Amino acid sequence: MTAPVVEARGVSRVFPMQAGAVTALADVSLRVSAGEYLSIVGPSGCGKSTLLHVLGCVDVPTAGALRFQDRDVATLPDAERSRLRLREIGFVFQRFFLLPMLTAWENVELPQAEAGIARAERRARTAELLDYVGLAARAGHRPSELSGGEMQRVAIARALANRPRLLLADEPTGELDQTTGGQVADLLDRLHGDGTAVVVVTHDAVMAERAPRLVHMRDGRIVEDSTR
Amino acid sequence: MFAASRPRAATWGLIAALLVSVPLVAAPAEAPGILISRQLAEARHLAVGDEVRLAAEPSGTASRQFRVVGIYEPTPDPLRFAQPPLDVRLHLPDLLALTGDPADAASQDAVTAINVALADPADADAFARDVAGRLPGVTARATSSPDARTNTFVVIERFHTAIAFVTVLGSAVFLLALMVMLVDERRSTVAILRLMGFTRRRILLQVCAEGALIALVGAAGGVLFAIAVQGLFNRFFQWRYDTALVFLRVTPAVVWRSLVIAVPLGIGASLAASWSLLRRTGAGLHR
Ligand SMILES: Nc1ncnc2c1ncn2[C@@H]1O[C@H](COP(=O)(O)OP(=O)(O)OP(=O)(O)O)[C@@H](O)[C@H]1O
Ligand SMILES: [Mg+2]
Repeated sequence: MTAPVVEARGVSRVFPMQAGAVTALADVSLRVSAGEYLSIVGPSGCGKSTLLHVLGCVDVPTAGALRFQDRDVATLPDAERSRLRLREIGFVFQRFFLLPMLTAWENVELPQAEAGIARAERRARTAELLDYVGLAARAGHRPSELSGGEMQRVAIARALANRPRLLLADEPTGELDQTTGGQVADLLDRLHGDGTAVVVVTHDAVMAERAPRLVHMRDGRIVEDSTR
Repeated sequence: MFAASRPRAATWGLIAALLVSVPLVAAPAEAPGILISRQLAEARHLAVGDEVRLAAEPSGTASRQFRVVGIYEPTPDPLRFAQPPLDVRLHLPDLLALTGDPADAASQDAVTAINVALADPADADAFARDVAGRLPGVTARATSSPDARTNTFVVIERFHTAIAFVTVLGSAVFLLALMVMLVDERRSTVAILRLMGFTRRRILLQVCAEGALIALVGAAGGVLFAIAVQGLFNRFFQWRYDTALVFLRVTPAVVWRSLVIAVPLGIGASLAASWSLLRRTGAGLHR
């Protein structure tokens, strides 16, 4: 078995709320190996997004351990976790979350600039990525001038900017029609083919079927984990 | 040498008497010369060479004949700018003759105040002590020391400081509200940046730089505006009160002080506004 990119062991996430604590994750263990492709499915509110945030070092579990490339995330200071997100993890969301004041090109270039990549290299990488997602011609356009599918492809290009080992996608096709959703799914397939570990949370059964490994969740727990 | 007329009852009497006097056509002998202020010349349509009668009493009794030998621009007096300086300058013997009581010989050579110029102004205090020691009953004081006149300005200065303080406080609150709105508007941007892996420090620095820039541009704009309007302001009030007084002057010290107050205030406001937001925005954008 290949080395894990990220591994959750007995992870729980409880949100202390005024009306009573909400247990979003209860004793979840999940190991994502390098270059793996898996889908997470389950009913609304079962904790899929919460798990994705924990795996992506955005959120910290209230119990259990999370190791990212063999580092205990709980002991990392905020700045270190930020660094991990910047260089090792890419995020794709249902609602794209592109920076509206920046062009497609700038959105893709920004994380590289923050990571300290040299200008020339940044340019080459940005051009390559926009080409990869089929949007080389739309580089100078702002998100408001792009369609949903195009925005999501820019978001994927941005997620890949610093060559992450792990791509986390939370319902990446949720706001797209079947055809454009299919294009985005194709892109994720290709990405996995190029060696990036991909974790997709989805409500779309067809999309989920594309991944060789399928994780079912219910009430904050993993109830089924199967690999075809 | 001319004795400066002082804004005292006697002077006002002189002026009042002047107002009832009329220029004469011919004078038997050459009348003593006087200087009158430009404002007085304009108010009474007087010119050099005109002869006038002056009296110490408003009733005009015991008036004397004088000839206008010059018109001068009075040194602006900030304490009197609201009243036009309708002043007359007489030779000291003429003034004494005019104001003295003929029945009282002592009044002929009595003065209430004289100005003494010192070779070294730093000797003023020593000189004053010396006078006090030699001439009991005579008070001597340096004109530059804080007396009643300058005290008025100390009060005005305090008043201005209080107004400035309230203004700055008000604008600081306004600025803070503005920054909170600005930062709040960018809540989602901050969340996206946090998700992408920007550190809190990095975002805070960015917001700080922006706050400093806004404050700097604002302060510079304010200073430029003040410089632009000071001419207009001065010209209006100089016209309004017919004086050469300068009412407003933007000095380097004023510029410096406004920058020193504005820039840290801007940075502070942006820091305060973004800090709480950054604390709340862990990096969650999933809602
Ligand atoms: N920040 C939060 N504060 C409080 N409760 C939260 C928070 N985030 C998630 N929860 C709760 O945790 C549970 C799991 O939420 P989560 O968003 O992970 O579900 P999900 O499986 O992604 O649902 P969906 O398919 O609708 O997106 C829910 O009950 C939710 O209300
Ligand atoms: Mg969700």
